[in-house]
Formats: sequence, C-alpha cells, structure tokens
Amino acid sequence: MNFVPNHTPFELSPERLRELTLDFASNPIYLDNEEWENTDNPYRRQLRPQIISYLDFSEPLRAGQVLEYSALAANRILATIYEADLVFLPKNGMTEQTWADFRSFYGATNRARGEMIRPALERHVFGFLDDEVEVTGSWTKESLAAYLGKLADEPDTPSAGERAIRESSDPQRAARNWLIQFAPDFLSEASPMIRNVLGYYGPVQSEWFKVIIDEYGYGVHETKHSTLFEDTLTSVGLGADLHRYWQYYLTSSLMLSNYFHYLGKNHENFFRYLGALYYTETTLVPWCKRAADLLTEVFDGEADVRYFTEHVHIDTHHGRMALEKLILPIVDYCGESVIPEIVRGFEEFQVVNRIADEDFAAQVAWMDAGPENKRLHEPVWGRVEAGEVTAPVAHIVEPHGELSNTHQHDGDELCHIVSGTMKFVSGYDSHQILEAGQGTVIWRNRLHGAIIESDECVYEIHSVGDYRACLS
Amino acid sequence: MLVLTFAVAGVGNCAEVGGVAYVYARTSRGSFVAPARCSHRGGPLHLASIDASGNRLLCPWHEQPTSMTRLLRKGIPAVRSGNRVTAVFAVDAGTDTATTHRPLSPDLCGPRRAD
Repeated sequence: MNFVPNHTPFELSPERLRELTLDFASNPIYLDNEEWENTDNPYRRQLRPQIISYLDFSEPLRAGQVLEYSALAANRILATIYEADLVFLPKNGMTEQTWADFRSFYGATNRARGEMIRPALERHVFGFLDDEVEVTGSWTKESLAAYLGKLADEPDTPSAGERAIRESSDPQRAARNWLIQFAPDFLSEASPMIRNVLGYYGPVQSEWFKVIIDEYGYGVHETKHSTLFEDTLTSVGLGADLHRYWQYYLTSSLMLSNYFHYLGKNHENFFRYLGALYYTETTLVPWCKRAADLLTEVFDGEADVRYFTEHVHIDTHHGRMALEKLILPIVDYCGESVIPEIVRGFEEFQVVNRIADEDFAAQVAWMDAGPENKRLHEPVWGRVEAGEVTAPVAHIVEPHGELSNTHQHDGDELCHIVSGTMKFVSGYDSHQILEAGQGTVIWRNRLHGAIIESDECVYEIHSVGDYRACLS
Repeated sequence: MLVLTFAVAGVGNCAEVGGVAYVYARTSRGSFVAPARCSHRGGPLHLASIDASGNRLLCPWHEQPTSMTRLLRKGIPAVRSGNRVTAVFAVDAGTDTATTHRPLSPDLCGPRRAD
C-alpha cells in the first residue's frame, strides 16, 4: 500500500506570514510613491513594505481594532491580491512603464505570493465578524422571508457620512473625499459578484446573471454603471483612472470593497454573499436617492448624478430579484440548512457598512479640524517641552520633496517641526503648512501623510497616546 | 410571523411577545433565545444554571430541567449582531410586544471578547 501523508490544514507561523507578506509587498510596483496620486497606472499601489516587519497579521483583529494601522496595511494588501483576478488596463494605452508593471502585477510570482498570505490576512481583517455576528435557532424559509422583509420598515435617515458632508466646513471637499472612497468598489463594480456566477448550479445561476447584465449596462459601455460613476467623478473635478486616489482610501472603504471579494473569492461563503447582496441591493435605493440629492446640493447642480439615479430605478428590481429569484429559490434548491449563512451575510455586511460610514464621518471631522489641530500643537508641545509629558519620540530629517505616503497611527501623536517646512496632508485637498516651531496634533486612526517643502525638514513625532490628556 | 429586535445584555434585554418573556442566552454550548420563565411553575429561567452534563438548564426554583439541545437545535430563529439580537417569532405580526429587563445568571451570559 502506498504511503499517504495525513492531510493537514494550511497554516503559516507568524514569522513565516510576516516574511511572505514582506515578500509580496516589496514588489517594486508596491513601493512608496513620489506623488500623491497614481496616474493612469492601475498596477501601482502603495503598500508601505518598510513597515510590515513591525506588524502582526497572525491573529484576528478585535472589533475595536479594525481601524488600526495593521488593518489599513492588510486591507491595502488584500485589495491588491483580489484585484489580480480582474483585468485592468491603463486608459491611455501602454507605456514602457505600464507594460512592465502589467507583467509584474499579473505575473505568477505576484499571484502565488498573494494567495499564500490571503487566508491569513482575511482572518486578520474579517475574523472579528465571527464574534460580532451569531446565527442561532431553527430557521425556515418562512422565518427567513419575514426577517428579510423587515428591512422595508427601516427608517430612511441620512447616514453619519452624509450628515458629516452637510455639516462640514468644506462640504465640497468632504463630498469629493466621499466619492473617492467609492472608487475601489464602483469602478470595477460587480466584479466580486461575477465570481459567483462562474460554475454550474442550476436556474439561480442564470437569474443572478441578469443582475450582472444590468450592472454592465447590457453591453452598452455608455450605460455601464462604472461609466456613469466615472462621469460623476469627472463632473466634480476628480480623475477617473483606477486607483488614482489609492493613498486617500480609508481603511474601512477598502474593507467594505474587500468584503465582497472575500465572500466571492471563497465559495464556502457563497450563501453569505446572497444575504449581503440582498441588503445592499435593497438599501441602495433610498441611499442612492439621498446621495443624488446631496451631491446636487453640494455642487450646485454641477455633479453628474446619473450613477445614483440609475440605481434608484434598477435596484428596486434588484432587491426584489435577490429575494424572489435568488435567495428563496436557492433555499428550495439546497434546503433550509443554508439559511443561517444567508442571515449571517445580511448582518455582517451591515456591520462592515456601519464601520465604513462612521470612519468616513470621523475623517471629515479630522480634515475639518486641521486648523484647530495646528493650534493645539502649542499647548501640547508646551507640556512636552516642559517635561510634563514624556512620550516615545522619533527624530526625523527629510529632504525636499520627500513624501510620507499616507498612513495612520494607533494612538494620538504630536508632530513638531524643528526646522524647515512641511505640508501636512489629512485627506484629498486637505492640508496645513507647518513651519519651524509649529506642528500639529495627529488623531489616532486618522489617515494622513506629508511632503517636505523646504530644502530639508527636521521634525519630531511624539507618540503621546491621548493628546487630550496632555491638555488636562 | 413577528420579527423583533432586542438587546443581548443590559437595558431591554427581555422581549415580551404576547405576554411571554424571552431572553438571549449565551452559553458554552452556544447561544439561543430562551423563555424567561420556566414551563414548570413559572420560575425565573433567566437565572438558570447549567447542569453537570452541560446539556440542560436548571430552574432555580425546583431544579426543573429544560433541554438546551432543544433550544439550540429547534429554538427560535435569531441572529445576534454585537449587543443586538433579532428573532423571528412564530406568532402573528400584530402581536403585542414590549421590551423590559431581566438579569441573567452567569451561566447564561457567556464571555464576550472584550474590545
């Protein structure tokens, strides 16, 4: 009899995981950029490999940690891995550079290394949902229909992000940042969904394909939903090339987009995808109506909102189709044992969506607080200088043009400029100029970056933990 | 059918449906929607302990056992998201409801991972 080894789960030790993640992220196409934006090169994504050796992706983040830097890094990497399955081409044809990057992005080394680390990164980012959502009891098709039907009773109220835009000191800036957050999802819209219609599984497969036909504009490029979204972007002065604004994506925006890839890529989550689909297709109707009104109001009627008005119409059908043509028939087809997974997806997506909404609202508050955070440098620095606050400090010297690609910290920090000039960036079109003796408070978990505008800049980063405690 | 959302713990953790009270129990064997009153003499099942076998709830009044296996496998369909549970009760959608508070025994409020 031939020897057959025991079949064992695929696992990586924390050390091996870190090593492989660094291997993946140190691909030259993922190194820091010298510019804030990527220009017509969909393969370039800044993954900041220089920080990876300090991160531990081996355990699931807890609910309170999913906006920390480790989550941003993991979500950036996951988005990059997932998108190696999708076809992206530059808008204006290939250059020598993009040809080389194309080969690197779709090459076997990149894909194989990505697949090695993907399960661990997914567990790191989405593992908290195992604790957050729990389905119990004996579900039937009737109880499922009643439960899903309850969604129609939800009040149609503005989200935290929508309120933040309206109340912002610069609503147009906030709205542009809002649209940027949708780009990872909307420009390749329905790509995660398409993962579910490959294969062979009966009539539901064909029904699902109808939803995708709508998303893709029935083969008419001008009506493809991504084309409509491009028009929205350009109408408010933003570029529409893929991942131009990579550095401005928030952790949770990538997480939201990645969530559907996570479900679609791992077919053990097939039923969960159906639950999440029902929620998103159903709630998109009121959300898109509000979004169209908001953008029209903020941009004085100049924003092209057809992407949103199209969804107000078509998702009325998609919500119904998801329930009547996909979910209930798949329960008939597979049996009631699949219902807990459908329910789980329905709830999980709400959790992720809520995190993204609140994260964006917090980022708007962070951008709006730029002048105040600059002002707060003085009292906090006073406490540090007087020795009343001691915190770990990094002394940094950077030359002209050095760009700290966007990142965030797990605790509050104080940036103090010793000499030179820094442009401190807290979002798209949001910055403060910091001169010698000045600085800024940096809030925990808030995306930011910086570029040196003088010949040289000497500055200090004090990891104060909670800046408010320094003021009391 | 009636769909009702109530708290897992704290204020509003007891759903009263047509005069029958329910709580959400989290045990080492799993979670489930449980009647707050014992079917024997109406004792406070929300204060039950789990017997040595780990399979039954014991009412504090007369130690009347209630099968946990049944509550887990044949129980009221429910989903918890954070501190909120949504349950589907097999009664008319117009049935009277209310939410109140019932303390839970340590055996029924199993560990939640702290953030």
